[in-house]
Amino acid sequence: MHELHHPPTPVYWGMTAQELTQDVVQRHASPGGAFWAIAGVLAALFALGVVGFVLLVTQYGFEDRNAWGYYATAFAYIFVTAQSAVLVSVALRMAKAHWRRPLARISELFAAVGLFNFLLMIPLLWVLPPTTGRRSIWFDWPAFSPHIWDTVGMATLVLTGLFILRLASLPDVAAVQDHAGGSRPMNWRGTLQQWRVQRTGLAVLGGFYFMQLIVVHMLISIDFSMSLVPGWKDSIFPAFHALNGLQSGVALILVTMFILRQTTGLRKYLEVDQFWGLSKLLLAISLLWFYFWWSGFFVYWYGRTPAEQGVLKLIMFEVYWIPFFLAFVMCFALPFLILMWNIVRKTTWGPALAGAIVLVGTFFNVMRYYVPAFSIEDHTLHVLHDVPPVNLPNVADVLVVVGALAGAALAYMLTTRFVPIMSMWELREGQILQRVRKLMKIDIKVLAKPE
Amino acid sequence: MQERVKLTDAQINRDLLRSMTENPLWYWLLVGALGACVLVAFAAVAYMFNQGLGVTGLNRPVMWGFFITNFVFWIGISHAGVMLSAILRLVQAEWRRPATRAAEVLTVFSLMTAMTMPLIHAGRPWRVMYWVFPFDWARGVYPNVRSALVWDPSAVFTYLTSSILFVFIALIPDIAVARDRTTGWKHVMYSVLALGWRGSVRQWKLQLIAGILLSAVILPIFVSVHSIVSWDFAAAVSVEGWHSTVFAPYFVIGAVHSGVSAVVTVMIILRSMFKWQDYIRLEHLDALAKLLIVVATTWFFFFVLEFLFGLYSLEGPEIRLREMQVFEMPWAAFFIAFLVCSYFIPVPMWLFRSVRRSIPWMIFTTVLVNVGMWLERFIIIVPGLARKQGLTFTWGGYTPSAVEIIIVFATFCMVSMLVLLFAKVFPLIPIGDAKEGVVLEDEIKVGKVRVPAIMREE
Repeated sequence: MHELHHPPTPVYWGMTAQELTQDVVQRHASPGGAFWAIAGVLAALFALGVVGFVLLVTQYGFEDRNAWGYYATAFAYIFVTAQSAVLVSVALRMAKAHWRRPLARISELFAAVGLFNFLLMIPLLWVLPPTTGRRSIWFDWPAFSPHIWDTVGMATLVLTGLFILRLASLPDVAAVQDHAGGSRPMNWRGTLQQWRVQRTGLAVLGGFYFMQLIVVHMLISIDFSMSLVPGWKDSIFPAFHALNGLQSGVALILVTMFILRQTTGLRKYLEVDQFWGLSKLLLAISLLWFYFWWSGFFVYWYGRTPAEQGVLKLIMFEVYWIPFFLAFVMCFALPFLILMWNIVRKTTWGPALAGAIVLVGTFFNVMRYYVPAFSIEDHTLHVLHDVPPVNLPNVADVLVVVGALAGAALAYMLTTRFVPIMSMWELREGQILQRVRKLMKIDIKVLAKPE
Repeated sequence: MQERVKLTDAQINRDLLRSMTENPLWYWLLVGALGACVLVAFAAVAYMFNQGLGVTGLNRPVMWGFFITNFVFWIGISHAGVMLSAILRLVQAEWRRPATRAAEVLTVFSLMTAMTMPLIHAGRPWRVMYWVFPFDWARGVYPNVRSALVWDPSAVFTYLTSSILFVFIALIPDIAVARDRTTGWKHVMYSVLALGWRGSVRQWKLQLIAGILLSAVILPIFVSVHSIVSWDFAAAVSVEGWHSTVFAPYFVIGAVHSGVSAVVTVMIILRSMFKWQDYIRLEHLDALAKLLIVVATTWFFFFVLEFLFGLYSLEGPEIRLREMQVFEMPWAAFFIAFLVCSYFIPVPMWLFRSVRRSIPWMIFTTVLVNVGMWLERFIIIVPGLARKQGLTFTWGGYTPSAVEIIIVFATFCMVSMLVLLFAKVFPLIPIGDAKEGVVLEDEIKVGKVRVPAIMREE
């Protein structure tokens, strides 16, 4: 058809395939002094978090559930944001979106944070009460079912994420090893058979990760939050939890891309296209955030049973109304007002700003669910008659939250030392499958859509 | 493998106007048969109005039966139009092109059909005036403006109005094509409807902007309609199984599931009726089936949440209702049939490429989905009402009468007939879109292979 008009050599991002590989490998080999300085600061903050954790254990022990509310918030926040971020690459690869290529690895690398998140979960298993006497999705199963199955679910999710990272980065790690003179991982030679296995593996693992993530969202949100609050029977809550995860996952990648653009030489890969694509996704999910929240709230508002009124007072209108208000503004109102303008979406700062706001809003959203849930003494009731007072953070809580966030960031940074942050094979594939050509006076992008 | 065919503009005009220009006998026989069914239903409705609701199976405590089930079902089908047309247009999915018009038209006719159901259900349709309009009609009683009976019609009317506008805006260039190929009164009619369309750059630009704006505006309406229908149920604390926070998205995604399935069914039928194999290709069915896998699985997740949280309450009446739905006949049979038809048969089958690209299998699975989705609405509405009261002597059952069965069956005939009549007057595949699709088609050579490609403006 029009192939005669195409340039003979695939050149994209201003480089040939060889130049691209050279560029990414070189950047990977020498991260620079600033990288280690930031890693050092994060390590120090993480050490403070460990101090906070020791304070929690020694001062309150595992029996005082109220003391662990902010720790649970930190765990849930990292789960909600980082583990969902992996899904962005999985979903966009399934949808064959070409613009995903430069951000695919940035997304997959968050799988390493999942491992850190899993370690954070372990102490909470000692804090979480058994299901005896309370509402639970485990019904007549053994009382420690949440402890067992949530651990299994989280471990499977983390392992799947790590497998995805390993499989997706295999060709790139082999290229890095080639340049460094090391041995190739899993004997990667880039044969047709190996590429087929890699692609099928990524598709199967991606589908599995997607389903697994939804299930784990359901387990964590019900077992660690809803079932601890008497009278809270909210069928949309697990879906809302997962949606907030997807929203903050997209936001996290936007912010990470912006930081990488500003601080490293990756500007030429992370173009407006990537920010524009993700910003549309973030706008749609922010609107869905409102819809899901409204759907739950509306039914409770109309129901007005004593149990429903108790829950609304606790997490929305009385005790934790400030976190709720901030979550509402930062997860829905502000992102919507910023991203509704295409002119803003087509910048790098606009989507990144909206992403940063969403990340803060998500923290408050998670906080208003987990802190009050851990503050209720008698979780065996079916109606919350006496709403507990607000639980404000103490020094140990602040240290734990800051340390956990720093630990997650540090885990991400250190993983980039083992795996290149740009997915070279996907970028090179993009060079082959994309062309830019003139149609009259307009630049037209031609995108191949292989089966 | 994509099955693109190089088509000229003249060929596209000729093929896509075929439904308007040719008059095969089978077409009129089919329209006649469907029309006869609709006439029988009119007679049934007239009989019911004359005799009263006693001729239906409705009785205390089950006062919502086949009619309300059918209302929810057709509202659901109407969600196909926006899902396919607006969302896929906004995300620039190329494979949407042959499906949009059929989806939009299905939306309009299914909404019209849905709106007849509550009117018929009222028994005395003129009484609806008292409930719908928040004005005093000389009774000294003002209807409750917060009532679902006010907001339901508002939402459905808004959706219908915007859907008609949506169809019309997209139709204008095609009407102009018809105008240029007709004479006499038809030419006058198309000239009026074409609004002076000449295909200038400015007109195309305006039409494109209008389409995008309408797509964006219609999305919240699309979501609100079925949400409001779901809140007719969910806001009621008194009926076990209805007061569930997940109902709104559960209803909306279920509607998309049944609506998109219905569009696939219609597309396959149109393809064979009007010989549109070059336009509605197997790759389009493949893409729609992939979309359906995602939609169906999301719907199933919401179903699991809805059912699980019924049991989670640990309250006797709620658990009793679930036991009734799952273990007691005939509800158990309907429950199993609904799950098997709407998820467990079609979705595993769609995982296979050979099924996604098979005309018989696709028509079988998509019809099956809508059988299942109709039963889903039935299983939500009736068992809950049958056990609404705590006192056992007010429990009841429900058996639909012949009048209800005839009327419900005729709604399917009516929608089919209206779609066929529409095809006689307007093209059911957008001609402009089909031509644009051909222009934007391209190929990229990778080694020895030519990979299908599309052009996108930078």
